[in-house]
Amino acid sequence: MYTSSMLKKEFLNKWIKGLQICCSSKNKMDLMERKKKIKLSADIAMASANKTATSWSNALISEAKKNKQDTILVSQLLGSKSPLKLQKSTNMIISIHKRVQCKKILKRSCFNAGKRMMKKKKKNLGISRSNFATTIAKRLVKKRTKVLKRLVPGGESMDEVSLIKEAMDYILSLKVQVDVMRSVVAAAEVLIDDKLLKLVE
Amino acid sequence: MNTEMQHCPYTVMNIPGNTAVTSGTDVSVFERQQARMKWQQQQQQQESLFKGNDHQFRGLVEVKPDPGLQYGWPDFSDGCQGQGIPSLMEDHNLKKRKTHEDQKQKVVLKENSVKEKKIKGCSEENSAETSSKEKPKAVEGPKQEYIHVRARRGQATDSHSLAERVRREKISERMKYLQDLVPGCNKITGKAGMLDEIINYVQSLQKQVEFLSMKLATLQPRLDFDIDSLIMKEMFEVPAVAYSAEVANSAYFQVNSLLEMGNNPIDAMLRRSIGGPVSIPETFVVSSCFNQMQPGVTWDGDLHNLYRMEIQQDSSTIPFQPHKFTGLYEVSNLKMEL
Repeated sequence: MYTSSMLKKEFLNKWIKGLQICCSSKNKMDLMERKKKIKLSADIAMASANKTATSWSNALISEAKKNKQDTILVSQLLGSKSPLKLQKSTNMIISIHKRVQCKKILKRSCFNAGKRMMKKKKKNLGISRSNFATTIAKRLVKKRTKVLKRLVPGGESMDEVSLIKEAMDYILSLKVQVDVMRSVVAAAEVLIDDKLLKLVE
Repeated sequence: MNTEMQHCPYTVMNIPGNTAVTSGTDVSVFERQQARMKWQQQQQQQESLFKGNDHQFRGLVEVKPDPGLQYGWPDFSDGCQGQGIPSLMEDHNLKKRKTHEDQKQKVVLKENSVKEKKIKGCSEENSAETSSKEKPKAVEGPKQEYIHVRARRGQATDSHSLAERVRREKISERMKYLQDLVPGCNKITGKAGMLDEIINYVQSLQKQVEFLSMKLATLQPRLDFDIDSLIMKEMFEVPAVAYSAEVANSAYFQVNSLLEMGNNPIDAMLRRSIGGPVSIPETFVVSSCFNQMQPGVTWDGDLHNLYRMEIQQDSSTIPFQPHKFTGLYEVSNLKMEL
């Protein structure tokens, strides 16, 4: 089991590497750019700190690679991880995603056609209460799984079962990321206060 | 038997799957054979079921469940039989039958969830399809009428409904794990509510990351980049520092971390950096030449202590490497010379 403290250490190491790399670039960046770079390096550090290749981490990395500006940073940060492997996984993900989308479009069209029939039938039969409640609950669940799919990176092309597993993993690593970042920021604040105090003195 | 198997395409998979699954369980050989016989009977009955004739349904009901299969579940199988048959037979109205089936489904669902957990997890290692067909079938040998009820309920085939049930249980299992992860989810039981909480939590975490990165970006220009490299070096020395601090100041540290982590991490850090084993920053304070380096070292000390706080909170063991401790001193000496 990859304990959270080990994960934190790895994440911190990789993040600092990434910060170094992006800060070593000599052009002056404005606030938003800097923030983006920091966030990007943090995300990639988190994704690569996972020893087990999870789907969301691959998706994060592939998305970052698509952005041409950041590929250099990404490749430098990842280093040992073979780009081929990631490429293959990303290609697979894309193809699976397309297949799933086509199937979904088909399903949706059939379902909508069926829905119209069902509505007519229901009007005739009368809706029992339990069925009504369950259909509402099902609709809610479907809506929320859609939202969750959008939130979790790479979650579009996943079925419900694995989506929940990925969400769990993602939540864990997000927690780690937030903790480490918070402590770094706090330390940085202390540092700056110290500096200011010394300047005043 | 072979013709039957050809009729139902999914059965071809089931037989090998059956052996695979039941071999992993504690079911004895005799019971396995019984299960297979039962299952073959079910195949015959399912075929007739697809035609959807009432009199055949009655015929199915007459088939007695095998007593050998009722290992541990004698009670409710009998009870269910008693309830199920008359109610089904009497109500020919479509609505009423559906509600009855609904109730019975729920009852059997609950019971099934208990049973299916008894069947070992090796079934999960097999492909989901075969295991989903097999697990419930081995379980539901004694209660054939329920299988037919479920199939009749408007779901296309048995395999689908059973597979769905397994899938649903997997999902509910994972929901339970998620309840532990996401704070404040103990009271919510429904899937929709749980999903809502999960979504809110993920969104809040993501927003926190954004906010923290923005904050760091605002702080960044005032920091020297040397500090980053220092941190990197120091981070690799974390276990050494932890060891040294612990050796020197364990009680003080623990008390501090317990009391102050919640309230004022910054104050705690400062206090720790001043007191305690890391005498290096003090020497730096004395020597006035290296103003820039001092905050770097204290910061690193703070960061180490922060790290230690987190590690202590997680209560995990850190591999102590005492020989690295000297390395820390060397690094600090280098800084002094710089």
